Formats: sequence, C-alpha cells, structure tokens
Amino acid sequence: MTIFIIQILNSLFYAAVLFLIAAGLSLIYGVMRIVNLAHGSLYALGAYVSAWVVGGAVGHAMSGALGLAGALLLLPIGAVVIAAVGALIEPTLLRPLYRRPEEYHLLITFGLLMILEDAMKLLFGGTPLSAGSIMDSMGSIPIGRLLYPTYNLVVVAIGLIAALGLWWFIYRTRFGVILRATSQDRRMAAALGLNVGRVYVQAFAIGCFMAGLGGAVVVPAQAAVLGMGVEALVLAFVVVVIGGLGSLEGALVGALIVSLVRTAGIQFFPEIELAVLYLIATAVLLIRPTGLFGRA
Amino acid sequence: MSLLETIHLKKYFGDTHAVDDVSLVIKEGELVSLVGPNGAGKTSFCNVVSAYYTADSGTILFKGRDVTRDSVTARVKAGIARSFQLVNLFDDLTAFDNVALAIFSREGKTRSMAALARRDSAVTGEADAVLGQFGLAGKRNELARSLAQGERKLLDVALAYALRPKLLFLDEPTSGVSTRDKGQIMDTIAGVVRGEGITAVVVEHDMDVVFTYSDRIVVMHQGAILAKGTPDEIRTNEEVAMTLIGAAGPDAFTQRSDHARG
Repeated sequence: MTIFIIQILNSLFYAAVLFLIAAGLSLIYGVMRIVNLAHGSLYALGAYVSAWVVGGAVGHAMSGALGLAGALLLLPIGAVVIAAVGALIEPTLLRPLYRRPEEYHLLITFGLLMILEDAMKLLFGGTPLSAGSIMDSMGSIPIGRLLYPTYNLVVVAIGLIAALGLWWFIYRTRFGVILRATSQDRRMAAALGLNVGRVYVQAFAIGCFMAGLGGAVVVPAQAAVLGMGVEALVLAFVVVVIGGLGSLEGALVGALIVSLVRTAGIQFFPEIELAVLYLIATAVLLIRPTGLFGRA
Repeated sequence: MSLLETIHLKKYFGDTHAVDDVSLVIKEGELVSLVGPNGAGKTSFCNVVSAYYTADSGTILFKGRDVTRDSVTARVKAGIARSFQLVNLFDDLTAFDNVALAIFSREGKTRSMAALARRDSAVTGEADAVLGQFGLAGKRNELARSLAQGERKLLDVALAYALRPKLLFLDEPTSGVSTRDKGQIMDTIAGVVRGEGITAVVVEHDMDVVFTYSDRIVVMHQGAILAKGTPDEIRTNEEVAMTLIGAAGPDAFTQRSDHARG
C-alpha cells in the first residue's frame, strides 16, 4: 500500500513537470501553428540556468530557513531567462517563416535544437548540474513506513497552480480572449486592428516560460544533464499526441496518462515501458487523430 | 458633405476589370446600396476601399484625406470597417467575447496581459449594449459557432459596428438566410445605422431589400458604374432594368458557388 501511494505521488510529480513542458508546446502550436522542436532544449536550458544560479548563490551548504527561501526565490530565474530567450527567438528566427510551409518551421526549430544542445555542452560541460540543496533542506515527510521528499509535493502543487493559472489566463483575461481569437483566425484579428505580431511574441514567450519553469522545478530533484531536453521533447510529444495538440486540457490529461503509464511501466514492465507509451499514442492517433481534446 | 470619394479607382486582375475607373462620392449619413450582377465588381470595390486589395491606380479620399496607400489597420483606425460576404466570426468565442474583442481593439486595450476580460465595466456594458442593439442579448454566452445563420450575420455586422466606424461596408448582410429573416436583419441593421448616423454601403442582390432600405443606389456592371440615383430613379431606369433582369436568372444559380469561393 505504501509503495502504491509513493508510486502515485511519483507519477503526479512527473505529470506536473510534463504538463509544464507540454502545455507550453501546445500553447505555441495553438496560437502560432508552429511545432517547436527546440522546446525540450529550452526546458533543459531552464534547468541548467536555475541550477547554475542557485548553485552559484547558495552553494551546496545552505544555512537555515532564510537560505532555503532565498534559493526558492532564485529557482524561477531559469523560467524568466527562457521567456526572454523566447521573446528574442520569435521575431528574429520564426517570424520570417510564417508564410512558408511547415517543413521550414520544423527545419528552423530543429536547427535551434542542435544549437541549444551544443550551447549547453559548451556552457555547462558534461558535468550534471543540480540544485539538490533545496530538496535536501526541505526534508521529507513520512508516508507509511517510508520517507517521501517534501519538495516533490511542492512540484505537484506548482503544476496544479500552473494549470489553474494558465486556464484562468486563457479563458478569463482580456489577453486570453485576444490570444484565442488570434489563434482561430489571424487575418480576421488583424482586420479588427489587433497587433498580431505582438500577440505572437507574447504567446511564444509564455510557452517558453512554461518550458523553463518545468526545467526550474525539476532541477532540485534531478540534476540537469545533457540529453534531458531531447528526452523531454519526445515525452511531451507523446503527451500532446494523446491529449491533442493545442489543447490545455489535453496537455493536463495527457501528462497524467503518460506519467501513470511510465511509473507503472518502470515498476512492472521496464523493458517495454516506452514502447507501451508509443502504443497508446498510436492507438489514439488511429481512433481519434486529433487527440482526446483536440479539434480538427 | 462627402465622407468617401473615389477618383478614377482601378483594380484589374489580368484581363478582368474588377474595378474599372470608378469615381463615386458617398455622402455622410446616407445608406447606399451597391447592386449589379455577379462579377460586377461590388465586392472588389469594397475590398479596395477597405485595403484588402491595393488599388492599381486612382485615389481614395476619406474625410478629404488620401488613404489610398494606408493599411487595413490604419483604415480601421480612421473609421472604415466592414463585414464579409462569408461570415467572419471567432467561432470558438462567445457572442459577447466576439464583440468585446472589437471594443478592446478599438480602445487599444490590448496591452495589459492580466486584465480580466469581464471586469472592465465600460467594455462589458458597451458589448452588452451592442448585442442588444442587434437583438442578440439572449445569445450573449453562446459560442458563435452555435448561432443560427441569421444571428451569425447580425453578429458579424455587430463586430464591425463595435469598431465605431464612420463608414461601414456590409457585404451581402442577408445572403444565405430565408426571405422571412431578410427583412428582420435589414430592419435591425438599418435601425442601428440610421440611429447612430453611420454611413453605410451595402452590397445586396435582393432588389426588394435594396428599394426598401436605400437612400441611394449605385448600379455596377463589369467593374464600372452603370447608373446611380434614388430608388425611384433606378426603378424607372430601363438600362438598369435590362442589366439586372438580364442577369437575374443565372445570378440566382451562381450565388451559391460565389459564396463557396468567398
């Protein structure tokens, strides 16, 4: 029973991180119709930046509650940096390509993926970078006979807050109305006199912020390593294929399904864990090609 | 006083003279109908004036200012708005949000990212008032996609109207709806337009509608102006009668495919 609860908590932790990444990917696709292959690398870069900032500021020996609060405040810097990177990428690299066919979007974002991966290798080297001191100093809570890291529960809470916040942002704010309108009909939005270019920068930056936030929250629990971005990208794609690209609800449900299957897979069928995920994605594609929550 | 003046306006597509040397004055506050057989250049003329097409030559004066080279956005800001022959709505937004969006845009309230959509009482009040004017108050919270065709037509006009234009182009506001609904839609539109003193140019096929609601009628044929005048003058103009009646037969059949093409 204890093991079961811990497995559920673990899968919720993965779901929270995956949701952050996939929601950003989905938001960008929903508004701009661009599949951002560099999204996973932006997540990884967010993880590296956060780990580097926290490591540089407090080191590995943290002193008391003040040190912990400070470290937690520094942690989201990775997300902010990635949002800024996104605000730079959109007008310079993506904007000239909107009128071109999709292959160009894939090529440019794939190129960006390679550049980012090498840039991380250059900047941070092959050594894993962690902000584990945060996780350590937050301690653990007892679950049955075992101890469970408190920080993991914080991440689940952050994922939940992010989901609610994003939903509120998209469905309840004025900007959300503009965002949804632009995503439905760009020409018409421009005909009403809306500044579509500005909406695109904002949407892309928010999507990148979500990826960076995913990296920032994961790095106290798991060190940033080379290749984590590509792995995350693949899983995020499985999430949006299941949930439906461009749908917020889809990203949430997809993230829950993928992490549950993954956690169960690691426990019960580790040899074919990823294969099962792809099978599920394939089944969804065959039965409901737009995903569970996607629209044609 | 003239609100819009086009001087020798031309737009050719290869050999097709879509707008051929059109010189037209639209006076402030009048409701002008633009009629003519399909392909006469009515929609093309609207497109050139609202900047969806660039004029090949000629001049467009709006409130005495040359706007020939201005962008769509600039002309919306100057006060030229339009509805479309094919209804253009944001299908996944509610009727209310569709109208609110036009108001945000007009007011330049598009910067603040955290502002709540429905807490801005000025916008909420205005959007509700606009929906009420067009008889759509009861459909406020329904998605645009779920509205009936006649309601969609009205919402489309409401969106253009919410931009508070001086000059409103309405491209076939009653196409695709039943004869019974036509009168109601035109009553609503004419009521709002006249009540607010907006100048309107309506592209319309149904001559009953045209004769009932227009101050003035402009007849186009093959891109050029064939005749213009009051409903009575046009009704008794034999050349117009020949052109319109001659085209009435095939027109009725091609209308559908014309819509499909947009």
